[in-house]
Amino acid sequence: MLPLDDVKVVDFMWALAGPGTTRTLADYGATVVRIESANRVDGARTVGPFIDNKPANDGSGLFGTYNAGKLGLALDLNKPQARETVLDLVRWADVVCESFSPKAMRAWRLDYESLRKVKPDLIMLSSCLMGQSGPTSKFVGFGNMAAALAGFYHLCAWPDRPPSGPFGAYTDYIAPRFGAISVLAALDYRRRTGKGQYIDQSQAESALHFLTPALLSSAANGQTEQGVGNADPNYAPHGVYPSLGDDRWIAITCKTDEHWQSLCTAMGRSDLASHGDFATLAARQQNPGELDKIIGEWSRGLTAQTAEVRLQQMGVPASVVQDSNDVSRDPQLAARGYLAEIVHPVCGNTVVEGSRFRLSRTPAIAARPAPTVGGDNQYVLKSILGYDQDRITELVAAGVIE
Amino acid sequence: MFSPYRVLDLTTERGLLCAQILGDLGADVIKVEPPGGSPVRRLAPFYQDVADPNRSIYWWAYNRNKRSITLNLKTDDGRELFHRLAARSHFLIESDNPGYLATLRLGYPDLAAHNHQLIYVSITPFGQDGPKASYADSDLIILAAGGPLLLGGDEDRPPLRVSVPQAYLHASADAAAGALIAHHERQRSGQGQHVDVSAQQSVTIATQANNLAYRLRADEARRMSGGVKLGSLRVPLVWRAMDGYVTLGFLFGRQLGLFSQRLMNYLHELGVCDAATRDKDWIGYGGLLLSGREPMAEYERVVALIAEFVASRTKAELFDAALERGLLIAPITTMNEVLESPQLQARHYFQELEHPELERSFPYPGPFAKFSETPLTYRRRPPLVGEHNREIFCGELGLGEDRLADLARKGII
Repeated sequence: MLPLDDVKVVDFMWALAGPGTTRTLADYGATVVRIESANRVDGARTVGPFIDNKPANDGSGLFGTYNAGKLGLALDLNKPQARETVLDLVRWADVVCESFSPKAMRAWRLDYESLRKVKPDLIMLSSCLMGQSGPTSKFVGFGNMAAALAGFYHLCAWPDRPPSGPFGAYTDYIAPRFGAISVLAALDYRRRTGKGQYIDQSQAESALHFLTPALLSSAANGQTEQGVGNADPNYAPHGVYPSLGDDRWIAITCKTDEHWQSLCTAMGRSDLASHGDFATLAARQQNPGELDKIIGEWSRGLTAQTAEVRLQQMGVPASVVQDSNDVSRDPQLAARGYLAEIVHPVCGNTVVEGSRFRLSRTPAIAARPAPTVGGDNQYVLKSILGYDQDRITELVAAGVIE
Repeated sequence: MFSPYRVLDLTTERGLLCAQILGDLGADVIKVEPPGGSPVRRLAPFYQDVADPNRSIYWWAYNRNKRSITLNLKTDDGRELFHRLAARSHFLIESDNPGYLATLRLGYPDLAAHNHQLIYVSITPFGQDGPKASYADSDLIILAAGGPLLLGGDEDRPPLRVSVPQAYLHASADAAAGALIAHHERQRSGQGQHVDVSAQQSVTIATQANNLAYRLRADEARRMSGGVKLGSLRVPLVWRAMDGYVTLGFLFGRQLGLFSQRLMNYLHELGVCDAATRDKDWIGYGGLLLSGREPMAEYERVVALIAEFVASRTKAELFDAALERGLLIAPITTMNEVLESPQLQARHYFQELEHPELERSFPYPGPFAKFSETPLTYRRRPPLVGEHNREIFCGELGLGEDRLADLARKGII
């Protein structure tokens, strides 16, 4: 039995931050019915990487990963009869999740106050960029924008350059964890008390938990934290150095003086191990430019792989800066089943990312493909809601089911 | 919401956030530190730059809503006390290298033998087993090994990380989700289990599935100063405004192109561009560029127009326009600006926690979500070293004052 196989979720989420939450629940057995409109498909279907570089509704590896294991129901929410079907699903469900901008669910009369009338112990999670209230709650954007507003862009920068920003919709990588945690905690509370509740998640507010040291430091010490390149206040050297090949790099951290001594041995520069300019952390932090030059001169003659193995054998933290090819062949990730092979009804054999953690006794379900638009209409309407064929035909004729 | 449950937190910086999340939910979290205090208390930054175990801001950031005891787990007496605590706990979170706690007879099987309901969460660099399980690590190393590092930064410089360590926060948040899934299952089975989190695997999420590109035979995204390279297309995401920077998405496709359409309508109204520019097919524009039907120089002309417009406005003016017109523009915000954000203030986000020994309070980032029935509360500032030794060892385990003094003398607490 899977840990969450008694949990039923109606999922109105789209893009990444929301669907990431329900993907985690689906991995561990929750039944997740994802509602999508055929007229306006989930934007994540339009973002790559695409299979063979060909944009297609079912070809996005991004959509495929964030929605693996869910059921797809295509419904035109702008049709008044659609609301009845949604309410039937809400009666069936334990949890409703949505990630529209704050006014959308109210406009469909599918907000928490309306839904709890048909399901008094409902748990509902609303997740949006800035939260349900406040002067900028109506801001519509993506995780890139929330990452800029939360400070991640400002703190991903070389000191002498404009901010660079972390890759992609950064807060969308953080919010799903807090979304899943919130739903699971609310389920536990409901089990003990019989009470459901409403959860208002601001993706930016969740993500700020990943910047707490910088926020507290700015508040406590009265100077705003800045991006410092790859430097670290506690370790040196701490950087990324060139390797043989095009855009190939090795990341190295010396956490202790012993690491530094081992690095010197590996570089054939034992003369530097106890040199006054480098022997201690404080000394090394005074000479970052010189340090980077010495290490770079050594590293550029080796493949990143060779440098990684050589340094790790000596106990020095080091890793190839891995690209998609490296990650696909990484023996460690392979041992953990990082990439899950699946068969997609449209795309055939393909891969998605597997569950990112392991439960020893009740591991995640083998990943199933993300739904095609409306791919599970029949199953959801017949097997979950018990509609007969006449009713389904009527809904299709009215354009409610797409 | 989680007040019936007790958590033992044995972690270093690799796992502190996991136990703090459970504490924010209401659990009783006991932070177990070695005598003298956790090594995390030696991590910068420090309050007023004074290096002191009770002034590490890094420690503060991830230890609120916890009590602290000190205990030397390398001694028989220390382990005996720890076993007594573990017998009455629901979760144990640890982040030592794989196999280390087993050498102290504190591995999952050792503790499960006494408490089969225990959920034992391990957060490690690469996971409990596999060819790299014993690799040496750091935040930077994990980000390199998992994929996100290569995608950040400027193309003419090495790949770049966020200046606040991120890798183990991703792992800790995954660990908390895993712990709660195991907890849900425990209600039915009555059994605990071992939750095994690999930080390398956790950070793969921060590649936005770009890690799949090789297997899907797709182009990989590449880092670019203030933007991203998608095939031959250079997509700027960081733009210079009058008083700083904003991120602005000038993107195409069925959904993202709508934002570009609105932006171009707005620029035409302001007289920044002509009608022919406004009326280009912004939905299909990516395809036009890639097929060569639209010259790249024309795209670059439009990008330059937008850049000139952005440079003539303040961050606040641009964000107001974004709110009013539905544009993809957001200010690149500094930490001080976050602390003063009207949005966060309107939502009463920051929680002041009093540090009485410093005669000051500090604004902590508030609850990760707002719960209507069970609002999350910040009940305790991060503890001083061993602040709750007496309360827990005497009050809860029933040790006498003499025994407590004896343990302290022997260096066990």
